Amino acid sequence: MTGARKLQGDKLSEAEAIERAKQGDAEAFEALYHLHRRRVYSLCLRMTANTAAAEDLTQEAFLQLFRKIATFRGESAFSTWLHRMAVNVVLMQLRKKGLAVVPLEDTFESEEESSRKEPGADDVRLTGSIDRLQLKRAIEDLPLGYRTIFMLHDVEGYEHNEIATLVGCSIGNSKSQLHKARMKLRELLKTSKAEKATKP
Amino acid sequence: MGCEEFQQILSELEDSYSLEQEQHLKICPRCSALVAELNAIAREAPLLAEDEDPSPRVWNRIEIALRQEGLIRDSKPAPAPVRTIRWGRAWLAPVAAAFLLIFGLLLYQRGGMEPQTRQLVSGTSQPVTTCCSPEDVSAEQAELLKVVAAQEPSLRAAYESEFKAVNAYIRDAELAARRNPNDEISQQYLTNAYEQRAMVYEMAMDHGPQ
Repeated sequence: MTGARKLQGDKLSEAEAIERAKQGDAEAFEALYHLHRRRVYSLCLRMTANTAAAEDLTQEAFLQLFRKIATFRGESAFSTWLHRMAVNVVLMQLRKKGLAVVPLEDTFESEEESSRKEPGADDVRLTGSIDRLQLKRAIEDLPLGYRTIFMLHDVEGYEHNEIATLVGCSIGNSKSQLHKARMKLRELLKTSKAEKATKP
Repeated sequence: MGCEEFQQILSELEDSYSLEQEQHLKICPRCSALVAELNAIAREAPLLAEDEDPSPRVWNRIEIALRQEGLIRDSKPAPAPVRTIRWGRAWLAPVAAAFLLIFGLLLYQRGGMEPQTRQLVSGTSQPVTTCCSPEDVSAEQAELLKVVAAQEPSLRAAYESEFKAVNAYIRDAELAARRNPNDEISQQYLTNAYEQRAMVYEMAMDHGPQ
């Protein structure tokens, strides 16, 4: 863990660790893992909503990275490289399971969906800060397609053109799915807040 | 512009609004509340990017896999060798076994052996599970260290460090072999670990009584 502590927030040391890892240095590998483990694992956990699956995917992402570390030339940030690898590992796993990562463009909306979008009177307002725990739970309840786009755009910071390439959809579909994801989360958070208010 | 029209194009807007859209937001509390709530969700989302921690076993599994694939090596510097040992000879295992037998006889002559040492001497070709923790040395290793220290006290610490390192190596290798009994690389890794221990014994025995 000493190597990990040394690397906290120090980009120069990360570069040294990368060079040492290329030589097979065990401490360097471990330090790089501890520097980036939370971000990779959080992504995997949010996407799969399953702890065991998230750990397996985290392991696979880091193994793929470490196997290829000799080819890293520093053209992009190491974290970007790792993160893109983690996203691909997760998406590949979801596709292997036969899950539609992002649904096709849906031009027709169900009555249920459109009634939710009605600008009616809202009994509950999401005023003030969003409860993070409630938001985590709401994300778990999102359909996979909404969850994927929301995670990649709002949590991980990918642009729509990048998301379109990653998941194989159009930019317009990515924007549409993101909006629906946020609307669904808003609805889930309001429901959760209303339930809390009615409990004794 | 009405609410329905505004909300239909909301997914395309990405926080940049036309004059007409801004005017609508100024006069419509429902749409402005909707936009504010959606933006609040988007603002909170990035804070979830690094808020979960995997269990320690994830790194353990990664490390084992990297060692199995030969991508990782211990970065601890090895103590200065007493003499150069050439690795990987086929005759090494039986020679090391012979040394262990001699060592056992020497200890017997000194007046008794630890049970683990008797086991080591009687079954020298069999893998012997090292003591419970790689931080410790086994009883037979402790005896061998006494022999080394009696002849060359300055080398005791170096050999103790070597024993601890090879014990850790064997522990990792045994774990990998148990998990992957049909994996040739894991089995080779384990064989290499035992050979390395035999080599350390051989080097230490060189300092025993002649």
